[in-house]
Amino acid sequence: MEHLKPFLLNGFRAATTGGRRYHVWMGSLTAIMLVGAYAYWQQFQYGLGVTGMSDHVSWGLYISNFTFLVGLAAAAMMLVMPAYVLEDVDFGKAVLIAEGVAVGALLMCLAFVVVDIGNPLAGWHLMPVIGHLNWPRSLLAWDVLVLNGYLALNLLIPAYILYHHYTGRAPEKRKYLPWIYLAVMWAVSIHLVTAFLLAGLPARPFWNTALLGPRFLASAFTAGPAFVIVLLWFVRKETNYPISDGAFSKLALITTVAAQINLVMLLSELFFEFYWPTHHGISAKYLFFGIGSHRKLVPWIWTAISLNVLATGSLMIHPLRRNPKFLMPACVTLFVAIWIEKGMGLVIPGFIPSPLGEIVEYTPSWVELCVTAGIWAMGLFVLTALVRVALPIELGEVRSPLLDLDPGKRIVRPRTTRPRYEDVRPVRTR
Amino acid sequence: MSTERDGAPPAPGGKNTVLQKSVDRRAALSLLLGGAVAGAQALGACAPVSAETDEEKELKLLAWREYIKGNYRYMTEEERAETIARLERLAKLKRGLDVTIQDTGPQPGVLYGYAFNISRCKGFRSCVEACINENNLDRRAATQYIRIFEMRDGEVDLELGDATFQREVPAEGHFYLGTQCFQCDDPPCTRVCPVGATWREEDGIVVIDYDWCIGCRYCMAACPYWARRFNWSEPDVPAQDVNPNQHYLGNRARKKGVVEKCHFCIHRTRQGRLPACAEACPTGARVFGNLLDPDSEIRWVLANKKVFRLKEDLKTEPKFWYFSD
Amino acid sequence: MSGARTACVMACVAASWFLSGCQEREGPVWESAPPGAGKATIDSATAAVNATREPGVLGSVQAAPVAGWSGPGGRAFEVDLRTASSETGPSRKFGTITLPIALRNHAASLSQYPCTSCHAGRAIVMTEKRIGDAHQNIKPVHPKQTGAECATCHAAENVAQLALVNGKRATMDESYRLCGQCHFSQVNAWAGGGHGKRLDGWQGRRIVMACTDCHDPHDPAVKPRIPFRAPQILRTRRPDDEH
Repeated sequence: MEHLKPFLLNGFRAATTGGRRYHVWMGSLTAIMLVGAYAYWQQFQYGLGVTGMSDHVSWGLYISNFTFLVGLAAAAMMLVMPAYVLEDVDFGKAVLIAEGVAVGALLMCLAFVVVDIGNPLAGWHLMPVIGHLNWPRSLLAWDVLVLNGYLALNLLIPAYILYHHYTGRAPEKRKYLPWIYLAVMWAVSIHLVTAFLLAGLPARPFWNTALLGPRFLASAFTAGPAFVIVLLWFVRKETNYPISDGAFSKLALITTVAAQINLVMLLSELFFEFYWPTHHGISAKYLFFGIGSHRKLVPWIWTAISLNVLATGSLMIHPLRRNPKFLMPACVTLFVAIWIEKGMGLVIPGFIPSPLGEIVEYTPSWVELCVTAGIWAMGLFVLTALVRVALPIELGEVRSPLLDLDPGKRIVRPRTTRPRYEDVRPVRTR
Repeated sequence: MSTERDGAPPAPGGKNTVLQKSVDRRAALSLLLGGAVAGAQALGACAPVSAETDEEKELKLLAWREYIKGNYRYMTEEERAETIARLERLAKLKRGLDVTIQDTGPQPGVLYGYAFNISRCKGFRSCVEACINENNLDRRAATQYIRIFEMRDGEVDLELGDATFQREVPAEGHFYLGTQCFQCDDPPCTRVCPVGATWREEDGIVVIDYDWCIGCRYCMAACPYWARRFNWSEPDVPAQDVNPNQHYLGNRARKKGVVEKCHFCIHRTRQGRLPACAEACPTGARVFGNLLDPDSEIRWVLANKKVFRLKEDLKTEPKFWYFSD
Repeated sequence: MSGARTACVMACVAASWFLSGCQEREGPVWESAPPGAGKATIDSATAAVNATREPGVLGSVQAAPVAGWSGPGGRAFEVDLRTASSETGPSRKFGTITLPIALRNHAASLSQYPCTSCHAGRAIVMTEKRIGDAHQNIKPVHPKQTGAECATCHAAENVAQLALVNGKRATMDESYRLCGQCHFSQVNAWAGGGHGKRLDGWQGRRIVMACTDCHDPHDPAVKPRIPFRAPQILRTRRPDDEH
């Protein structure tokens, strides 16, 4: 563990050094974070009344983003399983980046929960020993446990692997593989728990459906890999970290299939709500067609569905999917569409109308918008920093300086049976 | 200083210049005084800053002890007495109010039930006004636990009702139906609270420990009857309107960021009195009593009138029935 | 003389209340001693025992008996207790009393009680025209609805009593016996607890009021009014916002 201090110092240095574009990027993110912090300070001082939420619509932009981002975090595991367990060559390089996405998304999730609760200083009440966690009855208690557990897994496993690479050793498979298996199952569970959180409420018929969990998983595995694709494309463009075409094509295939499943589920929901409209479908009516003069969400949901259909359709065409010029915009479009549909398009209609039939609409206030922007900026900041630290280690450019003090120590090649990437594919050094 | 009066000039440099300086009496006095003043200032600057009054210190200490306390449900009798003493003292320090906070437990053999006569209710909202005054509800946010719906004759669907009527009542062709927390026997809200800040007491009242609530509002999403309210800002009740007879789990002062709701006037009902809404109703539309007492009015209503509850298919077992003449 | 003075004071208090119906949140407030208050105060348990044994026994008890309570609505008040009459009276089982109900002494709240102060015991002619002479506050809405005349409900030979259909007489405190002749389901519900209000808490002995304590017998319908303010939905506010 004597390499730990240089590991952290090197990491810090790697995250804070870079060219002009890097600093502009990180600087803008910092500026947005500061705006978000100011907005949150207003909220902390005056209470959640400065948001657009009310007793009728008691969850808004914060929980919408939380719901979406849990899916993003879960989807990172789509890469982990093939990479570590199946030792897929294509995913091998991309997996650490995906785990960085998971960490960033999870930190954003936790941040959204913290800004949403009314009494954040009492957050310690959630801790099992010093507070009182209502587990197993409360789904939110489950969520607290699984999200933090997942965060720990996604921090410790890559840390273990990176640290070993950093110190020139091979990470021991028998040590990290069981945790990988656990993490893969955990990924599915975090999103199911979040879905059950909403689906388990008979008071809200819009959410109280068995299809909510599967829909969450489908949309997560659409938006998650889409994001990772765009991120990997950036990494390929900006660094000399090798990402194979196979990684892109496999991820794109996963995204496309998941997007198709998502559309089928959407179709199922539309049929269910509108073939024989009942009382319980009134929230869906509000979302898709509005109720009387209350139509705030209608343009949003139809935009989301149109973008979704357009993106999925174009991804289904093989030549388009293989062409980055079409793949990237399609992924971005899909990501935005799912964000709208799963965020505002899921959480807000659950509250409209209220259980007693009153309709109060919701518009996020500037505080909410700034805090949300600040948290997204924080997530991207963390993601950039993590990727910035991980890539040089993986490329072999960075090793522990302490290693040089001991010239007798051989730098060991990773002891795996998989072929070295360079022997199989040419390295793109653009 | 000057040694001109002595005549002999001081030797230049060295300790002699300093140690053997001779001064006259006036200079010495001014030196001494100046030194004393400077020294006092220095001492004052070094001493700990105690600009806080004792009251402020006590306030901080009480606030800290209140912050670190645990869940009321699992406190010992002693801890409960301590927190109540602290809260009463805090009310005195912060607002100059003399309040009595009870911690009366449930009476044995009691399960509260409520019946609402939809033929008798005329929509006066006297109950709403009484509740606001009795329970120290936020005047700035105009919080109301009770909601009275104006329904058209022939329609029982609450979703078609209108709670925002503000004209002479009763209106022709309409009837009135009131909702509040129904104190369910199997409440969805208590199941979903992540910290266990809300629970069902033995006499049937669903209570909230306001100091343990973290304000996540999951219970508000879970309630099928829209019974819960959230303090979106710091609640404001003018000092002269504060009801000083309070209960820890009821109408004591709440703070921003926590959930609250109707608690069947726990500070009254556990003392044998009617809730403020039942007492205030001018038409006698509200019946309250002990479901376990076969001679009570509520049992008579359940046995002799056609009663119904809202959303019975959800199996929440609310303890609030509606009946008509 | 003191009786008349008491009655006059009572008139001021009770007139306002009688005309406005029973809309107080707390129980009735007596500004001075009610008639019969010279009698010894007995506790509620004794009154209960007496009531079951001897119909019509008077005593007075403290209602809303919470020791040491001093807050809004916490005033204790006195009511004269009577049992409900066993004859065509309110009961769980038809004709018998199974639960003693304490009734508020109603008669003394009448604005021009006692009747004998004007009607010195002799029979009077009761026509609608004559009502306006002395009872200007009576609007005969209910008589018009039912086609009743004064003599239908008031005993001509003794106006302090009410006339029942079967020829018997009831006192002014027992208005339920009269009203129950037509409104039997309401009276049944009143006896069981589904109609009307309780004066004390939810526990123990019920202290209730008879019909005319809430309903003006000549114009019984509850009057419309403007309700308390409607709920508002306030959002995006800061502590200094007005609403």
